[in-house]
Amino acid sequence: MAEKRLENIMDVCGLIAKILLESGAETTRVESTIAFIGKAAGVELNCHATMTAIFISTESGATTHLVKPNVSAFNLQKVDEINSLSRQFSAHEIDFDELERSVQAIDHQVIDFTWLQKIIGAGLVSVTPMLLFKASWSDLALAFLVGIVGYLASQWGSKHSKSPYLSVIVGSLVIGLLANLLQYVGIADSAANIIIGSLMPLVPGVPLTNSLREIIDRDILSGLVRGIDAIMIAGSIGIGTIVGSFMAHILTGGI
Amino acid sequence: MELAVQFIVSFLSTIGFGIITNVPRRVLFLAGVTGACGWTVYLLTAQVTSNIILQNFLGALTIGLLANIVAVRIKAPVNMLYVPGLVSLVPGIVIYTSLKEFTLGNYINAGRNLIRTLVIAFAIDIGFAIAESIFRRVRYRIMHRS
Repeated sequence: MAEKRLENIMDVCGLIAKILLESGAETTRVESTIAFIGKAAGVELNCHATMTAIFISTESGATTHLVKPNVSAFNLQKVDEINSLSRQFSAHEIDFDELERSVQAIDHQVIDFTWLQKIIGAGLVSVTPMLLFKASWSDLALAFLVGIVGYLASQWGSKHSKSPYLSVIVGSLVIGLLANLLQYVGIADSAANIIIGSLMPLVPGVPLTNSLREIIDRDILSGLVRGIDAIMIAGSIGIGTIVGSFMAHILTGGI
Repeated sequence: MELAVQFIVSFLSTIGFGIITNVPRRVLFLAGVTGACGWTVYLLTAQVTSNIILQNFLGALTIGLLANIVAVRIKAPVNMLYVPGLVSLVPGIVIYTSLKEFTLGNYINAGRNLIRTLVIAFAIDIGFAIAESIFRRVRYRIMHRS
């Protein structure tokens, strides 16, 4: 009976760790959450999380649980919900069965913004304050639109391909192509400014900063994994934009 | 006037990134204010010095302090606030430029921008680490005032 319950706790903890890491929590947060929940459930749990594997094991016994996360985009709503669940569980406001049920519910479905809201969000990110008073106002308006198209293209790409870098290549290719065509037609003043703005939703600035943060915290392994991933994404964006600009040049007759 | 426009645009930009990363709705507005304050500090510093380390350091310090205070008040994890809040400061475009130059074969520009990226990211991270340790000292007082 006791064995059965322990396995159950480990399973739920594994799922919690997986959701947290996949939705963009830091590895230290994952490890401390698991330790907290273990303590509240009456088991001393040890957790080691990296970007490619999470190990959970009991302090005394021989039971170990291994989870392979598949890190994708940020989904901070999930992190917040798991966080408040673990707070409630530690304060003994909910029992273990309730926790298990809620965690499984979060794994399946979580509140998300509608597509329209996300599209407007991508557009707003594209009007980056970096460009204010440097680019013309019409270019900023175009960056809003091109950014939306690029974001949609990358989402379309991620639906149709399992390769993680292909979606950003698709998105940045569309952005490079559109910006240069707009400049050729004469609507836009500067293709370079539009490209910079529209790339903002795709560019891996936050993951890069997070990776250095983990390295500073001496989580060197997962920091390096995140950092290399960010560099690969930036490289894919660079390639996509250049190919897009090149296609625009060919389409408009020049080389 | 210019500063007010910058504040509003960076507020909207932060909220936009918050929507893409699916930040909980109760945090969205506060995250926007945090990000906009950080960007304003960055701009104000830019008028005094052209040192990118100092600008990014002070911007990140502001965001770090505000994010930690807000996070304790509304009982949410800190990264809800700083992931969208940092979007205007973070060197995303610089690393893109670096790798674009790399693809085009301009290795000197590529290397220069890569080092610039690392310098900015380090400045932001150190600003954050310092904000967190300052906050840990005053945390008790803030929690018991509410």
